[in-house]
Amino acid sequence: MKTIRLFPLELRRLLQSRPTWLILLLTVASPVLGLTLYQPTSADTMLSLYLANPSIAGGAAGGILFGLLTVYELNRVGRSRADALMDAAVSPLTMALVRLLALLAAAVMTAAITMLVWLPISMRLIGSVFGGVDYALAYLLLMGLALPLSIPAAAAAYQFTRRVDLSLVLFAAFAALSLTVLADDWQLCWLNPCVWALSDDFSNFRIFRSVAWMRLTWLSALAGVWTVSYLCIRQYGKGVLGSLARGARRVCRPVIALLLLACSGAAYAAQPLVDHSNPDETAMTFYEVPYAENVVCTGRSARVFPDTSTGSLSGTASYQFQNTSGQEQNVAFGINPGYTISHVQANGAAVPFSVSEYQEYNEAMLEVTLPADEQVELVMDYSGFPQESRNMSTMQGSKEISTEYLCLENSTLSPRLMNVLPGENGYPATIEITLPASMTAIPFGSSEAEVVAEHDNGTKTWRYEVGGTGGILYAGDYIREDIEAGGMTIAFYYGRKHQSVMEAAGAVDAVKAVVDYCTEHYGTLSFGTGETLKLIQSRVTGGGYAADGASLLDEADFTADNLGNTDKGGGAGEVMIHELVHQWWGLGNMFDTSDAADPWSAEGLTVYTTYRIVKELYGEAYAQEHYVDQWQQAVDDYYLDFYVRNPDYLANLPEDKQLEITNNLAYVRQYCEMPLKILQAEQLVGGEAAMDQILNRLFNREIDPAYPYLTYQDFLHACGLTEEDLNLD
Amino acid sequence: MIKIFRYECRRLLCNKFFCGLLLILLFYGWQVLNSVTILGVSHTAPFSPWSFGDYLSRMLPLLWIGALFFLTFFTAGRAQRAAVLTDATQVSPRRYALARCAAALTGTVLLALACLAEGAVFYGRYFGWYAWGTLLLPALAALAPPLVFALGSGWLLGRCRAWLVYVWMLVPLVCMALPLPEALWIWNGRFFTAYPLTLGSLDPAFVLPPAVVAAQCVLLAAGVALLALQRGCKNR
Repeated sequence: MKTIRLFPLELRRLLQSRPTWLILLLTVASPVLGLTLYQPTSADTMLSLYLANPSIAGGAAGGILFGLLTVYELNRVGRSRADALMDAAVSPLTMALVRLLALLAAAVMTAAITMLVWLPISMRLIGSVFGGVDYALAYLLLMGLALPLSIPAAAAAYQFTRRVDLSLVLFAAFAALSLTVLADDWQLCWLNPCVWALSDDFSNFRIFRSVAWMRLTWLSALAGVWTVSYLCIRQYGKGVLGSLARGARRVCRPVIALLLLACSGAAYAAQPLVDHSNPDETAMTFYEVPYAENVVCTGRSARVFPDTSTGSLSGTASYQFQNTSGQEQNVAFGINPGYTISHVQANGAAVPFSVSEYQEYNEAMLEVTLPADEQVELVMDYSGFPQESRNMSTMQGSKEISTEYLCLENSTLSPRLMNVLPGENGYPATIEITLPASMTAIPFGSSEAEVVAEHDNGTKTWRYEVGGTGGILYAGDYIREDIEAGGMTIAFYYGRKHQSVMEAAGAVDAVKAVVDYCTEHYGTLSFGTGETLKLIQSRVTGGGYAADGASLLDEADFTADNLGNTDKGGGAGEVMIHELVHQWWGLGNMFDTSDAADPWSAEGLTVYTTYRIVKELYGEAYAQEHYVDQWQQAVDDYYLDFYVRNPDYLANLPEDKQLEITNNLAYVRQYCEMPLKILQAEQLVGGEAAMDQILNRLFNREIDPAYPYLTYQDFLHACGLTEEDLNLD
Repeated sequence: MIKIFRYECRRLLCNKFFCGLLLILLFYGWQVLNSVTILGVSHTAPFSPWSFGDYLSRMLPLLWIGALFFLTFFTAGRAQRAAVLTDATQVSPRRYALARCAAALTGTVLLALACLAEGAVFYGRYFGWYAWGTLLLPALAALAPPLVFALGSGWLLGRCRAWLVYVWMLVPLVCMALPLPEALWIWNGRFFTAYPLTLGSLDPAFVLPPAVVAAQCVLLAAGVALLALQRGCKNR
């Protein structure tokens, strides 16, 4: 009761203090740091630049400021040497609680004022893709919750040490850890959430859920630490331990502290958002599972029901097998580690199954024992909250499931068959998915989805046919534009929120120009139908990819900032060109990807072709500066790298460091060294026209079905060159 | 005097603050070594004097703060109130101040040695490399002038206003943000990453250009002069 009575008095006193108002004003102004000095996001979407960066910077700066204010306020009575008087009037424990509540109330007030002040500024900066929900969630989660985390952290430091300097050092170290070494650990960066991008055109609930989980984990932990420090508040002239012993006499206090710390530990350990995939990105354990003997898969189907309100998914998958071995067989599936399999039935009878603890490439392995019957229909129910790969934990958001957007890839869509060969007709699959009526289902590939049922609850069921063991499905609130270019029809899908920006930038014309260029120089697309191509704008992903008859474009290339960049000419971003070019120099379709570190990959020819297109569009000087010079710089650095010159030392490093360095070096070789070699080849064979003819012949070569890949030797042979001719030394 | 020096050393070093600072320093150092130094700077080996200098440059802000925190033991309001008593003793204020400076310097040197030892352990463990003698020059160049200057300038500021010492702790961070001229690049750490690239050879031997030597000498001399100057001043 005393606490409730004292709280308004303490809050009023706090709000009459000038330092409080100084901190409040500085905190309200602090988002400006995100526009200038501290920009933690790596994507260039409008919401990343003008919402995520300011709110994260505001949270970090505001958190530090409120930590300072907390120490200042807690030391106020001691500083004026009135602590003995104060302790005689009110219990120090009660006063500590009252001060904490008053500071928290001031923090809430500050967050509210900040949101009001920055609302018109953000609306103006972000433009047509501004959204009220994104704004409110960003400021509440990315900024607002940093303040109530800092207050108990700083208060606990003071209550433990009773010294201003020590508590400031401890708090500064705690904040500095978050801002530096822990900045890339999404669960530990308590002050500056690990947000790499916010989408302009689609929802961001997944990344906000991740931040909310981190905040609540820390809120529980710091509340627990504060409660322990609360027990250590000096009473009756005793020291830390004496006060702790006295404070703990009321059993509920230590119990609450332990409960809060245990909750935090449990939330940390059992987080549902990120899996435990093997950090070794070269591990291929699941690809080494032996194939089931004399078993083939003759067909499969899946019915999928995304729950757009919770971001989870449930579904039923069915597989038809022909088992001619006459004995039981183990069949393996890859499933998203966040899913649980509720039951598995073969020909109507339950069969044993297990899910591996080991995870790799965002998959766990489900093993099912097939009966010895010749024809087996296997049905399984799965459901859960799809998890993202641990190796991409700093780039969360890809498993977004909402009424605006979803992307279900392979084992996230339905269990992916691993060790069974296809029947005569491949792996024919029928996928049905039930979505809100506003969403359009877009299979990533040549197949088209069609609506087969409309339901009273405002949802539609889409169905499409596809081949293969996996498959990728995009769905969202899309607009479709059909473009005739290069003798084919391009279905260009982009987010409805982006319509005005796309139209103003003439993105459709840019797409047409790129497709016309590649078709003219290299020929029509050999993959897929050859008559259609889907061009899908995805939620911000950090890149794109291309496959049979479809190409993915990152929305970051379509932002108003990027499309309006006059330095790049009138066309859209160059990554868009790059990804479109992959339709000609395809990814897995054309190049042997068994050695991920092989410098000869789809990227070499794709980057080279992108350079040629950019040279044609924006001029030689631009292409030289932004492509050739940058390749040369990266390659020079590569050849000089200490570990390239001294590989023995690399072998002595810890495994994770070896992996990091090796991946980085492979990137340079594929994206910079190889394009530079192709450019050198261009000069040796007689110029651009001669190289175009060579590439045209390679693109339209006769494919050997036994080994359909385009090799480096093929390229050298076509150019009449040797490996030594293309040495860059 | 030795008895006073020992007493002041015990005050500075045998407390929770020193242990906490040391732990933070070692933890941060290990993170730097594992995430930055291990890659090597400017195409040189992780154990080259350039990489080691870069490591020390990254540690310098914490060492600077540590050195100034040692001074807060002598410049805080409570310590200055006690000065009324110490000034009344027969000990010369100059000699007393000298003992205190020596104690603060000892604490700072111990922190710096901890960083150096951590680097040596790191090199031994991951690379089996033990030629530590080659690292002496970059260590002296990177650490000695700024830390002596931190003590001298911090002592002066602390005597003027105790809180100025805390503000002074931000200086290395400000230097890192400022576009300093090339001669002063060693103050913001750029020297160890940028200068070897200008030498035009692979794995260049460690050299200090005259301008950098001059800047560091001026800094060292200023630090020594400030310390000498303060020994003559009386507490306010």
